[in-house]
Amino acid sequence: MKHVIIIVKYYLLQAGTEELIQEVPGLMHLKSYTGEEPRLTDIVLKHKPDVLIIHPDSLSAENASLPHKIYAHQNTNLIAIVRKNEKDRVSSDFSTVLFMEENKSVLEKKLREIMTSAGPNENNHKELSKREIVILKNIALGLTHQEIADKLFISIHTVNTHRKNINKKLGIKTVPGLIVYALLNHLIQMDEIKDKD
Amino acid sequence: MLIQKNMKLAEVIHHDHTLVPIINRFGIHLGFGNDNIAEICRKHKINIDFFVTILNAFHDAHYFPQKQLRNFPAALLIDYLQKAHHYFLDDKIPEIAGLINKMATEYALDKTTIGLLSNFFTGYSKELKKHIQYEEETIYPYVLALEKAQAERNPDKNPFVRVNNFSISDYETQHENVEEKLFDLKNIIIKYLPEPKDDKPGYRLLRELFTLDKELNEHARIEDLILVPKVKAMEKALKNKKE
Ligand SMILES: [Fe+2]
Ligand SMILES: [Fe+2]
Repeated sequence: MKHVIIIVKYYLLQAGTEELIQEVPGLMHLKSYTGEEPRLTDIVLKHKPDVLIIHPDSLSAENASLPHKIYAHQNTNLIAIVRKNEKDRVSSDFSTVLFMEENKSVLEKKLREIMTSAGPNENNHKELSKREIVILKNIALGLTHQEIADKLFISIHTVNTHRKNINKKLGIKTVPGLIVYALLNHLIQMDEIKDKD
Repeated sequence: MLIQKNMKLAEVIHHDHTLVPIINRFGIHLGFGNDNIAEICRKHKINIDFFVTILNAFHDAHYFPQKQLRNFPAALLIDYLQKAHHYFLDDKIPEIAGLINKMATEYALDKTTIGLLSNFFTGYSKELKKHIQYEEETIYPYVLALEKAQAERNPDKNPFVRVNNFSISDYETQHENVEEKLFDLKNIIIKYLPEPKDDKPGYRLLRELFTLDKELNEHARIEDLILVPKVKAMEKALKNKKE
């Protein structure tokens, strides 16, 4: 599931864009803004959207740098909505451009392409690999990422990557959540857990 | 729907019954009769603009109050937020903890599993409590001091010196969400629990967790969209006054 935020000032355009998102399986509309909200960049950063659809002209002067900041900070797919004759004005921060003149099926197709092109991880939402199970066990036992790296003779960077994949596959992000998962699946026993607090 | 003061409160509740706990926080209880919002507010001595702003902020995720921001004192808003905190910590959290424990007596799941859920939820509650404590002990006194300083004639005598080294935007950027653990808990229940003997208790628990999540989000929205901009305006006004 990919979360979508829309920034469009004009109601009709905003409502149409929301409608379009509903049509594409796997996209979920999270919020819409008009582009004039103060400190919108921070608000959007907080939501960590997977997809951000912007009508660039809607952005107030204060928010004009929003697309670039989001592009720099987050792994978000940026999509612009413009007229065909404004094509050349779209900044390179945007990976896809939707034209207002296009019909529904073309727009839908463009959005579907985003769904399929985005990371293979998304569809491999299955089992954990053997390596990931080992990492998960150690996290649940209370080891820090550094301790796990030392124990398994791998870099901390590798541990971080495994952890991210575990979070994604299980849909569980916090350590206490991972502990519950590990216990429920008998990967660890209750009496093995280090008392941390 | 934009809620306005000339609407009947009963009709508003028909339209969105999840506003009931909100009006309760203002001292309005079920059985409030047939009056419109303005009349009910007058009866209960509630600031009408403030009441309508809060209702709209809860009701509509897109609502963005701007003009009404200055029409009510910050103390009112803080009083409201504290009541909401009270509702989360003293009503909702025990209620959900109770639901988890009840699953044990209803034999829906085995004791060990319920112990895990219950411990996890306790951890979550502690985190929420910490978040709320920080707001009540650090942020709110600051805002109240600001408001007091603003009312004074001679601003230099007042504790708003802190305006220069602390600002509400520090809070704005740090205001993290407490929903990560809640999200994990929902996923554990949806995906990873052993098959229960009875489906109902799990659903009841899940429904409460989704409601809590929604209410916390709405609460955070009021903090981000109403409290923060209001305090910013106060900080700005005071700085100008000082110079
Ligand atoms: Fe709060
Ligand atoms: Fe908060």
